Amino acid sequence: MNNQLRTVWNVTKWEYTRFFKWIDMIKGTVFFLAFGLIGGVIGFWVASDTLSVPEIAIHQYGEFDKENFQSKELRFSDRTNDSMELLLEELQAGSLDGILTIVSSDSATIRMKSQRGWLLSLRQFLKEQRTELKLQEFNIDATVFAAIEEGMVLHTEFDRGSESSSADKWLAGIAIFLVLIAVFMGFAYQFTAITGEKQQRITEQVISAIHPQTWIDGKILGITGIGLTYVVYYGGLGLISVVALVNFTGAPFGEALALINPGLLLLFLILSLLGILMINSFFAGIAATIDDPNTSQKSGLMMIPLYPVLFAFVAIFNADSTAIQILGMFPLTSYAILPVRLVMTQVAWWEPIVAIALLAATAWIFRLWAGKIFATGMMMYGKEPTIKEMVHWFRRS
Amino acid sequence: MLKFENVVKKFAKVKAVDDLSFEIKKGEIFALLGPNGAGKTSSIRMIMQIMEPDSGLISFDSSVLLGSKVNRSKLGYLPEERGLYQDAPIMKTLLYLSSLRGSDPAEAQKKATAWLDRFGILDRKAEKISTLSKGNQQKVQFIASILHEPEFAILDEPYSGFDPINQELISDIIRELRDGGMTILLSAHQMQLVENIADRILMINHGKELLSGTFEDIRNNTISDKKLIVSYNGAAKKELFESSAHIRNSIQTAPEEWEIYFSENYSLNEVLKIMIEAGTVKSLKTSDVNLHEIFIESFKTGGRVHE
Repeated sequence: MNNQLRTVWNVTKWEYTRFFKWIDMIKGTVFFLAFGLIGGVIGFWVASDTLSVPEIAIHQYGEFDKENFQSKELRFSDRTNDSMELLLEELQAGSLDGILTIVSSDSATIRMKSQRGWLLSLRQFLKEQRTELKLQEFNIDATVFAAIEEGMVLHTEFDRGSESSSADKWLAGIAIFLVLIAVFMGFAYQFTAITGEKQQRITEQVISAIHPQTWIDGKILGITGIGLTYVVYYGGLGLISVVALVNFTGAPFGEALALINPGLLLLFLILSLLGILMINSFFAGIAATIDDPNTSQKSGLMMIPLYPVLFAFVAIFNADSTAIQILGMFPLTSYAILPVRLVMTQVAWWEPIVAIALLAATAWIFRLWAGKIFATGMMMYGKEPTIKEMVHWFRRS
Repeated sequence: MLKFENVVKKFAKVKAVDDLSFEIKKGEIFALLGPNGAGKTSSIRMIMQIMEPDSGLISFDSSVLLGSKVNRSKLGYLPEERGLYQDAPIMKTLLYLSSLRGSDPAEAQKKATAWLDRFGILDRKAEKISTLSKGNQQKVQFIASILHEPEFAILDEPYSGFDPINQELISDIIRELRDGGMTILLSAHQMQLVENIADRILMINHGKELLSGTFEDIRNNTISDKKLIVSYNGAAKKELFESSAHIRNSIQTAPEEWEIYFSENYSLNEVLKIMIEAGTVKSLKTSDVNLHEIFIESFKTGGRVHE
């Protein structure tokens, strides 16, 4: 290994170990699970108390047959012989949750202390009762009515001949989600690492020892490494959870795995990795221009790399639109949009090649640009470079 | 070791370094002095390759070159703008900063252990930097700048944050490093310490040289190489000092004590006559001016020497 590569590796290791600690991650997971469990227990207790079956007194049945008023979610009691005053007293005392007065099949009143969640169930129940009543009234057979209600089955066929499997679609969605995790990690750590070094006045001694490009390369790789570790960790946890769930429910997990196209999987990995490297270079360049993260207006620029992920959701609705086709190859968006196109529609063989080539070239240019901005921006204390100056450095890179 | 020839560096319309030239010899302690904004930091940053001069030439001895480029592992730097990774352990920080200068990790660990021991903080090597006092953090910073045993080290304000005992310790270490063959460029505001340690001194202001040479050369060449300290019984008539052509400056250092600086073409008899006229003299002593006084005086007069 030559000196420069060794130094990049030293910086990469430093940045990685500075922010990433296994013990903290495991502790975090244990806390997450513990608090999840506590939350679940408390939630269950609160829900069981709040969502208990309500006691509803029926003061009038209208045209309905009282025998039909039976439900698992609602407990009805026939109180047609009691006075409304008595029922209201019971409602105030809390022994009743509601008083239902049915005037006709078109009108009824429910009296409660305040708004309650079980009202939805009551509405649904009354609707069903009314439907039954109207079927009898108009002498319509229940099976005929069910046939009328049943919708038309619409089968889909595509020009491409066959559609990607659901497993591939899930894979594309997971790839974008994991990229999003890595993007957020990159955002958080690059910001902390670089603005922290500026504020702690560490910059000058490091920049006197190594070339700024070497330093920024190590940073980009180290922070990308942290993002990928989180992706692998949470991806692994997710996989373990799915396998556990599958074993519990007996779902055909093995068959679903067999549906995954290994070529697509490889493409997703390449696009994700290059995308994360490009974004981290962008983050590093912007972070180097920020003097005080509490007041800098440039902090907003750090949100830009999140846009492609948002566009990817739009791509789901029409993966063949011209805009989405172009964005699928455009280097700033391809890492998120091309995976969607690959699983949603027919993509020409050259599109992934062009997208990967452009993405790799852009990641490289962003790396150089970040190095230029870093070299100058990191030494600027109390003053931030203007957008004009940053564009100038970008062109020089 | 280093030649700094006709170097110019501008920031917007301000010339931070204005056609400045000097040379640092191998194995010497060279002090670069000047008031704030004189151009010291810009000069140092250009030497450290952090910024490039607009014109002029900075050339190094072959011992710090690798081919035609400066070998950064042969340079050491304690910048004025300094800090450490507050959340990182002390030893780990030293090893990392040393690795950036190309040090062998095992060697660096041995040396770091010895330095931490000398500074009395070895038992805290596994603690985070943030747990150290400001003075102890300065010690770690100082160690980081020389741990890799550079050929040429720049120490910008190395005494900053230290008590007098540790300032003396730093001076002793700087001398030892020089005696071991290291060339050192020193910039500091503690004139007494610089006076005692520097082999040669360069004073600059507005990016230009004011004075240069050994301390003796500078003192012999400055306007105020002699002064008298006179004590009176009661008040002295200061207007007599101010009106005399033989006295260039007079400073009241205590209610009844004055420092009298001579003019260029003074007559000692005349000066003594004025002193006696000014009041009842209680005591009188001569004194050489120190670097602090030369520093102050040079910047008042723009560094003029005997004509």
